[in-house]
Amino acid sequence: MNETTVNGSPRTLGRALPGIVLLAIAGYFGFVVALAQYHGTTLSFGLATGAQAGIAAMLGVLGAVYFLVADRLSSAPKYAYGLIGLGLLCLLVGSYYGLFVAPPETYMGQVQRIMYVHVPSAWNAMLGLTFAFVCAVVFLFKTDWEWDSRMEGAIEVSVVLAFLLCCQGSIWAKPTWGVWWDWDPRLTTTAVLLFAFLGILALRKFVEDPMKRAIWSSVATIIAYVDVPIVYFSVKWWNSLHQQPSNPGTVSKQFYLPLRMNAFGILFLMTGFIMLRARIAQLRLEQELAPPPVDEAQAGEGIEAYGEAV
Amino acid sequence: MTEGVVTGGWGFVWAAYTVTAAALFLYGVTLITRLREEKSRVSRMRESQ
Repeated sequence: MNETTVNGSPRTLGRALPGIVLLAIAGYFGFVVALAQYHGTTLSFGLATGAQAGIAAMLGVLGAVYFLVADRLSSAPKYAYGLIGLGLLCLLVGSYYGLFVAPPETYMGQVQRIMYVHVPSAWNAMLGLTFAFVCAVVFLFKTDWEWDSRMEGAIEVSVVLAFLLCCQGSIWAKPTWGVWWDWDPRLTTTAVLLFAFLGILALRKFVEDPMKRAIWSSVATIIAYVDVPIVYFSVKWWNSLHQQPSNPGTVSKQFYLPLRMNAFGILFLMTGFIMLRARIAQLRLEQELAPPPVDEAQAGEGIEAYGEAV
Repeated sequence: MTEGVVTGGWGFVWAAYTVTAAALFLYGVTLITRLREEKSRVSRMRESQ
């Protein structure tokens, strides 16, 4: 019995086409236009910088979500490797521009170059957790195991990005604030977020019953997600050492290209990672739900029952 | 730091990029390894059934 007959329909490139088109348009407005602008050419069809950034971000996220949910998880790995490759390429180009081409910032000097990995990590960690939140809600309504696997994947990858976010922020804090860490509202709420979702991953390890595990972790994810908007608004609500959120109006044009390239790079990488991790979760679930081998007739019934459950 | 301007700092920049690259690379490798392991476990399970 092969994966296609158990878990999903035959895969074609045509199925991936909407996602590819969305990502291509996002890439055009996200960094082809910025690259042209960087070299003195205008390709923006008269759109303001804010509109370009908005279109790029919206379509980029839609494209990523399309790949995450449009198909069965059994088909995920082959698209995941493509997205990971694309993400690595964007990260290489973006980091090259960020490290060697973009000018140093007036006050922070060379240290500001950390922004090109720190800010994309933050944006994508929040996006990943938002996807986990959506998966949790959908699972509670539909009880479809694929959404439980996607939630596990999204939480783990977002925790890795949130951990990286804290490391990069700490490295940036030392030369600019003079300390590695401060119990500042933005840093504290981010640390709470990291540990809350680490706790949910631990919860999933400890609970053996798949249904209880899925329901409890979905509810915990919905509760923990409350911290995401708190992290975002913490710099607005309280006095904070951390700067206010950036937007195209507050970032110099010379900084757009590496920032956007790396943001897309980490988005593609994160999407590919979530797809792989969700597939791992699904395969583990398959083993948990499969009946113990007894005899051939009973085993056949067990596989059919699994097919209905998953 | 000189008159409110951070000078130098390339060491911090390289540290941040190295940590990021290393973490993403290692995490990616663990994912691929874990996926292969789970696939082979499921194949063995299906064969035994």
